[in-house]
Amino acid sequence: MFRSVCEDWGTSSSLFPLPKFRAPASAMPAAAMFNVSLFTSPLAIVVVLSIVVGLLMVVLFGYTSNQKAIKIAKDQLKAHLLAVRLFQDQLHVVVGSYGRILRGTGRYLRLAFMPLLYVIIPITLLIVQLDRYLGVAALEPNASFLLTVKVNNPDSLDGVALDLPPQITMTAPAVHIPVEREIVWRLTAHQEGKYEIKVAVSGHDAGKSVRVSRELSRLSPIRLRGHFWERMFYSAEPALPEGSPVESMAVNYPERTIGIAGYEMNWIWIFFVFSMIAGFIFKELLGIQV
Amino acid sequence: MNSRCAARLCARVRAGAETHTQRKKAGGTRVLLVIAILLAPCAAHAYAGPGAGFAVLSSFWAIFVAFLYSFYALMTWPIRQLFRFLRRRNAYGKAKFDRAVILGFDGMDPELAERFMNEGKLPNLVKLREKGTFTKLRTTFPAISPVAWSTFMTGVNPGKHNIYDFLARDTSNYLPFLSSAEIKGPKRHFRIGKYSIPFGKTQIKGMRKGTPFWHWLGKAGIFSSVIRVPVTFPPEKFPGVLLSGMCVPDLKGSQGTFCLCTTRNSNGKFREGGVRVPMERRNGACYSYIPGPDSPLAETAGNEMRVPFQVHPDAAAKKARFVVGPEKLTLKVGEYSEWISVEFKAGLGFTAHGICRLYLKEVSPEVEVYVSPVNIDPGHPDLPISHPVTYSIYLAKLYGPFATLGLAEDTWALNEHVLDDEAFLAQCYSNHEDRERMLFDALEKTKQGLCTCVFDTTDRVQHMFWRYLDEDHPAAREVPRDQRPNVIPELYQKMDRLIGRVMEQIDDDTLLLVVSDHGFKSFARCVNLNAWLHQNGYLSLREGKSESGDWFDDVDWSRTRAYTMGLNGLYLNVKGRENQGIVDPAEVEALKIELQQKLNGLKDPASGEVGITGVFITGNVYRGPYIENAPDLIVGYGAGYRASWDSVLGKVTGQVFEDNIKAWSGDHCIDPRLVPGVLFSSHKFVTEKPHIADVAPTILTLFGLAPPSHFDGKAWSLAPEPTVGAAGA
Repeated sequence: MFRSVCEDWGTSSSLFPLPKFRAPASAMPAAAMFNVSLFTSPLAIVVVLSIVVGLLMVVLFGYTSNQKAIKIAKDQLKAHLLAVRLFQDQLHVVVGSYGRILRGTGRYLRLAFMPLLYVIIPITLLIVQLDRYLGVAALEPNASFLLTVKVNNPDSLDGVALDLPPQITMTAPAVHIPVEREIVWRLTAHQEGKYEIKVAVSGHDAGKSVRVSRELSRLSPIRLRGHFWERMFYSAEPALPEGSPVESMAVNYPERTIGIAGYEMNWIWIFFVFSMIAGFIFKELLGIQV
Repeated sequence: MNSRCAARLCARVRAGAETHTQRKKAGGTRVLLVIAILLAPCAAHAYAGPGAGFAVLSSFWAIFVAFLYSFYALMTWPIRQLFRFLRRRNAYGKAKFDRAVILGFDGMDPELAERFMNEGKLPNLVKLREKGTFTKLRTTFPAISPVAWSTFMTGVNPGKHNIYDFLARDTSNYLPFLSSAEIKGPKRHFRIGKYSIPFGKTQIKGMRKGTPFWHWLGKAGIFSSVIRVPVTFPPEKFPGVLLSGMCVPDLKGSQGTFCLCTTRNSNGKFREGGVRVPMERRNGACYSYIPGPDSPLAETAGNEMRVPFQVHPDAAAKKARFVVGPEKLTLKVGEYSEWISVEFKAGLGFTAHGICRLYLKEVSPEVEVYVSPVNIDPGHPDLPISHPVTYSIYLAKLYGPFATLGLAEDTWALNEHVLDDEAFLAQCYSNHEDRERMLFDALEKTKQGLCTCVFDTTDRVQHMFWRYLDEDHPAAREVPRDQRPNVIPELYQKMDRLIGRVMEQIDDDTLLLVVSDHGFKSFARCVNLNAWLHQNGYLSLREGKSESGDWFDDVDWSRTRAYTMGLNGLYLNVKGRENQGIVDPAEVEALKIELQQKLNGLKDPASGEVGITGVFITGNVYRGPYIENAPDLIVGYGAGYRASWDSVLGKVTGQVFEDNIKAWSGDHCIDPRLVPGVLFSSHKFVTEKPHIADVAPTILTLFGLAPPSHFDGKAWSLAPEPTVGAAGA
């Protein structure tokens, strides 16, 4: 079941539909006061999701953990820290307290481990999905990109045929890398849209989607044959057929960075900071020990 | 390499791996996936939510801070040791011991101790008696804990430390105030709308003068751990750690105000130390509240903050479910809760943090819940109760919340029959166990220096259970003698076992002292000295009155020459000193002698026994700069007698002598010569008639320090070790 779910995620585009903000007519004057793109920008999405995730994860942690034991473990850790400060002239206390802190940390992590498992599984899957939207950007019209195809036999590299849609053109001859069993093309897409590039090897066809857009899209940088876990984490397309000589097809989408406070960074850092802040606020508000 | 590249690289490396290996892995347990997620250096998987973030950050932070602290401590340790070595030339250089451990057992009586030792009940105290010293320890005038422990720590008489009783009187209005500390709100307030916002800190002023001997030790570089010694609130700075004891107030600022929440129709306060709060029944549940301190934002007093709670009684199961803020708990009838955190919110972010315990008294036909006095939360102290402030936090984190109130054992609740014997004892021993844990922690932490801890349990239990020891006590006449519990012998045995455990942790380089501030006697008969003064023309009431209210309500000061309040002090109404004084200063000495002569030997008409065995003019027993704050006379009651409950509260009644029928049935606020304390020591001392003031100079001397010249106590000498030849002879 797990596999089928993951595979479904690999193809679904409805899990995070990310519709454009459409204000009803009656609300238009009010909505007009705001820049609509503010709400659909990657930054806004990451911040909102961080807050929601911060809340959900803290609640989930609270329900699945032994709150009393965690509180005692944390309190004891703090006590041993204070002991180092209070009795700093007593060398045996300092050394003993440090040992107790290490033991206490182990106890605390042990107590946090099981609830973390409950928390980690859904959030990891969520992050994987988010990464498909936010990790890389779609290709811009007229921007060149590389298509890398890996085959199972270097001898078949010469027989690989590329079939491009009319909106995509090849801008340089293919480069063969026999050691890697790879062949690389430099291509350029001229119009926005979702296209499929096909290759034919030894009578087998394989395709790879390519997205050309200026908007937030669900992207799949690589299509793989087999490799269940890798597909789950890195691909958003169905697996290549088992009997295909093509092992993988990859497009080098540009990395997406989000600007905040004058710094460009990967979305995960913003998610990290904001979900931590949200989690901290919600754990205090809800009185949950983490 | 940025994180995304790392992710891509990760994918590539894995894509290049053998297919069959991947399949094998894919078929592995799902838990391995999570571990892999945690370990994989891929951006999208490096972070798994705030739960993991907090866990990792907290752990890392704890280790990091601990490492920094430890590193700092270790790096600077040689330097500090060098300083300590140089300073210790004056202290440890001549010290006879590495460590002194002083166990203070408040109120341990030498006669009872001797009796129980001779009955074989106290084997560890017998060991101390045989190996070291056992003797009576003379106490202060009066023999009251705050007075005696102040002398214990400062080595001076009350005229130099300024503590004469729990209470002192305000000469401007004849009302009492707490003698040990004065707590005032911030000086300035500013108004915002309906709020009056305090600006600045709460002002806490210690009234005890003199310097505790651990300060002198600290100056010489000797570390001290001081736990629950009375009259150490507010805590003072010194090189060591200290947890304040007796005289620490509750969150309301009182010395302990319990609360009885009840569905019974009854109104008003208890006579002593408690309030009744109505409990309202609605839809099968009962609703009440825990009364807290007055709001700091209110302009006028009496704006009490409250924490509401619900009780859902289950009469059939004799239990009830409680909801107190975020806490939910279930108690059986006759069961205490753990300490519960309560926050009294005044608004604008002003919150008072307290802890209290609930005790379910009854669920049918009525519902009654006892709420202990709301103690200052040691983990979040709104007033300083330790030095450093972090010490109480440290103890609270290590062992959980604990009673911080000075008089934590709720004697008033037992007196008022709100708690029964069993519930009171459970409360006492619960507090006692907390203090034992603190003591053993201090022993572990203080391998060199001073470690002292005072246990109140001995005092409170003897106060409340002496009626079962006294064959004919008025408060226990209804209890057949063969059904009286052995509470006090068991108490002494408990303390003996504690001493045994302490002795296991010390060696010959540690001096162990067991001291008490006073002994104990029965309190069977009450003496209303105000009534005697009234009957003998020294105190007058307003026309038409035969009795007064509390605190001299209806006393005619223009015709009153003497009055009493508190436990042993008798005051003259001196012109120019008291607000409405009438006694000419030139007549003061003569009046003192007159009262001394008349009261000394005062007999109880019911039995013919002497109710007052000594009256002491304070000018003769005190010396020091604060003698002007002392009472004019100290009244020493005879064994079996004490100031009446009304007299203590400044009330004039019709009768001078009456039976004491309260559970508070033993006392020590009598003639100090009748209630000396105990002194046990692990090493033999040569001393005659040791006094509690001698402890401070003795400890200083044993650590090689010269006691300050203003000390009144004299250091005891260690007995010479017997030589081999002498031992053989």
